[in-house]
Amino acid sequence: MLTVNHLIFLSAILFSIGAVGVLVRRNPLIMFMSIELMLNAVNLAFVAFARYLQNLDGQVFVFLILTVAAAEVAVGLAIIVALFRQRETIDVDEASILKG
Amino acid sequence: MSTDLVLTYVGFFMMGAIALIGAVLAVSQRNILRAALGLIVSFIGVAGIYFVLEAEFVGVVQILIYVGAITILILFAIMLTRGLMQGTTSGHNSQWLAAALLAMLLFAALALVALGTNWNVAATRVSSDLIPKIGAELMTTYVLPFEAVSLLLLAALVGAIVIARE
Amino acid sequence: MSLSVPDLNLRIIAPVLIVAISALVVLLGELVTSSAQKRGLGYASLVGLLAAGGAAMGLWDAHAVAFREMVRADNFGVFLTLTILAGAVLCILLSFDFTRAHRIETGEYYALILFSVTGMLLMVTAADLIIIFLALELLSLPLYILAAFKREDERSLEAGLKYFLLGAFSSAFFLYGIALVYGATGTTNLARIAASAPSEMLLIGAGLLLVGFAFKVALVPFHWWTPDVYEGAPTTITAFMSVAVKAAAFGAFLRAFLVALPALAMDWRVVLAIIAVLTMTLGNVAALLQANIKRMLAYSSIAHAGYILIALVAMGGAGVSAALFYLLAYTLTNLGAFGAVIALGEGERERLNVSDYGGLARMQPLLAAMLTVFMLSLAGFPPFAGFVGKFLIFGAAVQNGWAWLAVVGVLNSLVSVYFYLRPVVAMYMSEPVEGWGAPRVAPLVALALVLALIGVIALGVFPAPAIALAAGGLGR
Repeated sequence: MLTVNHLIFLSAILFSIGAVGVLVRRNPLIMFMSIELMLNAVNLAFVAFARYLQNLDGQVFVFLILTVAAAEVAVGLAIIVALFRQRETIDVDEASILKG
Repeated sequence: MSTDLVLTYVGFFMMGAIALIGAVLAVSQRNILRAALGLIVSFIGVAGIYFVLEAEFVGVVQILIYVGAITILILFAIMLTRGLMQGTTSGHNSQWLAAALLAMLLFAALALVALGTNWNVAATRVSSDLIPKIGAELMTTYVLPFEAVSLLLLAALVGAIVIARE
Repeated sequence: MSLSVPDLNLRIIAPVLIVAISALVVLLGELVTSSAQKRGLGYASLVGLLAAGGAAMGLWDAHAVAFREMVRADNFGVFLTLTILAGAVLCILLSFDFTRAHRIETGEYYALILFSVTGMLLMVTAADLIIIFLALELLSLPLYILAAFKREDERSLEAGLKYFLLGAFSSAFFLYGIALVYGATGTTNLARIAASAPSEMLLIGAGLLLVGFAFKVALVPFHWWTPDVYEGAPTTITAFMSVAVKAAAFGAFLRAFLVALPALAMDWRVVLAIIAVLTMTLGNVAALLQANIKRMLAYSSIAHAGYILIALVAMGGAGVSAALFYLLAYTLTNLGAFGAVIALGEGERERLNVSDYGGLARMQPLLAAMLTVFMLSLAGFPPFAGFVGKFLIFGAAVQNGWAWLAVVGVLNSLVSVYFYLRPVVAMYMSEPVEGWGAPRVAPLVALALVLALIGVIALGVFPAPAIALAAGGLGR
């Protein structure tokens, strides 16, 4: 029988995979994609809890989080693209991002 | 167990497996395009779980926004920055062992929560007329968060244009 | 279906609204102004911030909730609102000539600062985790952009990217924390969370919230992004981030843990105490090793987050009011210190190395004296604001049985004297370095410095009124 425990367990695995991605990978785009995975895990948890608690709040939060994720995408990709343009004009092979 | 419940159970495991496989691909692939495709697969899997949970509206929105908009934007960014990204995709961090340990710890804590708490079965639907209710909630109880989010979107769009314009 | 509109008490969020509207006005103003008129947009921002300050003062002793208890007006929030607005006003005063010299003078610069301030004000007024989260995002996203605002400078873009990735990463933890709290209690409202039964899940949720806050205020071990981001971002933005984000995030941090999770906060106290010790010590020791003054001030800001955390460990009324006073004192002092660095810049060049400060006491005696005051206040010397702040925090710790923590704090302050005085020693003892002309201080920058100086000295010599206001209290 499907219980909330299953859903939270899955969400925990997804969240941890995303966290590993952010910590292990060094490509900013892949790090960013891993963060999106983590947000997805959060949304899954909210939907599961909303069902268990029998209230809609969890689903409403999902909409708010979706919007925040979209805003983050716009900002993050803009910075990545701008950095790339800057790099291109200076030195393409130089890739010192985040080494500090 | 009724057939309905069995279907729910099977559906959950199928969709969950898809979400997990996609997630693993997204964080492990060296080729960034494949990683992005893994991300899409994972998003679709999660959307499938929303359908299994009868949160259809969230499921549809998940596909429209995550799969439709967000990943497309990411693909655009990959295309726009091809030279830079190909050189660096291989880079795995040297502290991957520490990272893996940390993530294991995090997972253990979360799994403890998932297994240790006794929830009753999630069998019943939240509500029959979900979509109008969500709309009403956004316009009443959640009107302040709703406005905050709209301001956030505006700030993000202005910011993105400022940074990325020629 | 009938819709019942919630209590739209706009008065309670009036400061937030005024700043948001000013942001929109500045944004529209950008479209109709020529590049020579961009200064006007800065003045418009100042007007908006001052008006918001007036509205916030009107909320003193209002004690009300609105929007289904999602926001709350209490004196705690008003005090922090005014602190943040003071920081924003000083930042904008410092920005006029800086943005021109660095060729980033646009309306969007001011609009993004105002958007960020909107988020900060919302954050210290929020009484619901979901509002705290959205406010956190609203304050952060514009700052990611502002950190990267010098687009032709790769270091600035890298700072923006790094800040963005780590900020988004920490937001995910914060959100998972909210999800677990919601799952455990069925609500995200702070007061209702406090009323629900404690559970394992709530404990872990609180831990994840702690991680999110720790990233934002740069507590060890979530601090490593700080030096790179603070170094790469334009100096005015670094100054703004180092004070205003801390005030907003610590405000929500204190409110969330003291209002919603008082029982759990007790359990977390030992952990918080250890984090405080590590944060202070690492911040100060690392600051000793820095030659770059922006990096030095970045590590110093980490150390100051550690001092403020002591106030949270001490809990109770004394702890809260000490934290509020400290945040105000730190805001004025740190903006003053950064302001002096900005004032000494020459076109796009800035005096970033401690050695660049050689001989300034003779060329610019007034400015050198001001920088000395700010550095002494940061180090915690009487009779300046920083001393009173530290005195209150360590006092609150001793009162509540955390004397050893206060001792560690005092020892750390002693260590910090060394690096805070290094630029001072250079100014008074060393010879001027080649290649720098005599600095000319722009009038508005001078105004900001004088305002900060008056604040630092007034808070140090007559602290009683501000202490009384800081004790105004946290509504529950």
